[in-house]
Amino acid sequence: MTAADDAPIIVRLGDDALIITFAQSISWDVGVRVRAAAMRIRNMQINSVIDVVPAYTTIAVYFDCVLTSFESAAAAIAAAVNMAEEGAQDHSTLIEIPVRYDGADLSEVAERTGLTIEGVIELHSSRTYRAYMSGFAPGFTYLGELDDALVLPRRAVPRVHVAAGSVAIAGAQTSVYPLNTPGGWHLIGTTSAVMFDALRDPPALVRAGDSVRFVRVDS
Amino acid sequence: MITVLVAPPFATVQDLGRTGYRDVGVPVSGLADRDSGIALNSLLGNDSNAAMIEWAVAGGVLRFDSSAIVAVGGADATCFVNGRELSPWTAIEVSTGDELRIERIIRRRFLLVAVRGGVDVPSIMGSRSTLLSAAIGGFNGRRLRAGDRLPIGDSELAAPGSVTLLTQRAVNDDAVHARRGPQAMLFDDRAWTTFLGTNFTVSRASDRTGYRLEGVTLTHGGAASLPSEPTCVGAIQVPDGGSPIVIMNDGPTVGGYPKIAVIRSSWLSRFAQRAPGDTVRFVLDD
Repeated sequence: MTAADDAPIIVRLGDDALIITFAQSISWDVGVRVRAAAMRIRNMQINSVIDVVPAYTTIAVYFDCVLTSFESAAAAIAAAVNMAEEGAQDHSTLIEIPVRYDGADLSEVAERTGLTIEGVIELHSSRTYRAYMSGFAPGFTYLGELDDALVLPRRAVPRVHVAAGSVAIAGAQTSVYPLNTPGGWHLIGTTSAVMFDALRDPPALVRAGDSVRFVRVDS
Repeated sequence: MITVLVAPPFATVQDLGRTGYRDVGVPVSGLADRDSGIALNSLLGNDSNAAMIEWAVAGGVLRFDSSAIVAVGGADATCFVNGRELSPWTAIEVSTGDELRIERIIRRRFLLVAVRGGVDVPSIMGSRSTLLSAAIGGFNGRRLRAGDRLPIGDSELAAPGSVTLLTQRAVNDDAVHARRGPQAMLFDDRAWTTFLGTNFTVSRASDRTGYRLEGVTLTHGGAASLPSEPTCVGAIQVPDGGSPIVIMNDGPTVGGYPKIAVIRSSWLSRFAQRAPGDTVRFVLDD
């Protein structure tokens, strides 16, 4: 791939945001580049910029369209976006999340993966996950990657109600539901960790770039 | 204090929204019809970000437990203060014990009830806006119920008396202006012709997270979903089924569906006032 192919692309996202695309597919290395660039844009402290939001392969920059335009905002951040990354690294925190493996879908997951319940618990709690992206709900982060043996498609029929603190898996990802929400992932456990607290600073326990370990606790 | 005597099925406290936390999945929230909110705050001499009640679906009654200066606007509604009809976009002084009765919403979606000084609920993460999914902001993070007592903020300016907003906004059924979205190129000419030639109906399954549009389905040449990327209020996304969904103020911060277009920010408030059953068509500005 040439350098030109690799250059991030900036397009408009409505009147007051733009979106920068770094790659077409998800990888941890792309995420590291994305977050490093997001940090550089934030550090510019441009007063017309309201929010800088990194995702898997993209960054959105939300701006005040009274103070600036798409063209000006794109020009202002271009240097920060295109800066060569020499050994970009996340400012990563390791977060341990205690889990009681008592989820409603635990035995079904064991059955469908051909593992014992103990085997599912062992595989889920024996590795360190990385937080790829936040989204879906306040404090929800997509953690990867699961052991291949635990990979299952999402549930055919999502639940209307999943309780806050539910530890779940779907595809190659795992997460904790921070709030009572609908959800389509397989519930394998519960945690007492508070994933999101509006009165805490910062409100989200896990942020993109962090590392997470699930630590088994007795029920 | 304002006491809620009879609450409608859906009323929340909102200001202009909560920014700075989209990176951890917190939507901006805030008034869906922010233009009307800003106009009411201007009429009342408030800061443009002062919080007010966003009132929807049906009627109800509020009682003022102190004198206050009040105005309503947004949706067309029949409102009475102590039995006398209250015109929209008009600041009036109410006395202790006076009741504001909202009989019904006649057209459009959100009636805004604003008070001089603003509704003084606590600011959570920099905003007084309610986010129901996370139960934060507004009045205890939830919809208003009968018996709730809302504090009114201090105001130091002189009373504005009865000022009438000269530029009362006309009922507007015009096409909603939009720009091409980040995935516009995934949709071929036929899909675009369909998109721009359809009078969509706002579905009953529409709320502050998103408005579903019914009428025709759109197809596109791309993958069913992309790596999830940030989205914005007014983004018109096209999920697998092909019926567009417009992301609204409490909607998700990221999504993987292709975004064919994004509503112009100057048209968002008017779009947000489309009620279930109303029609909408789009024109493209670029």
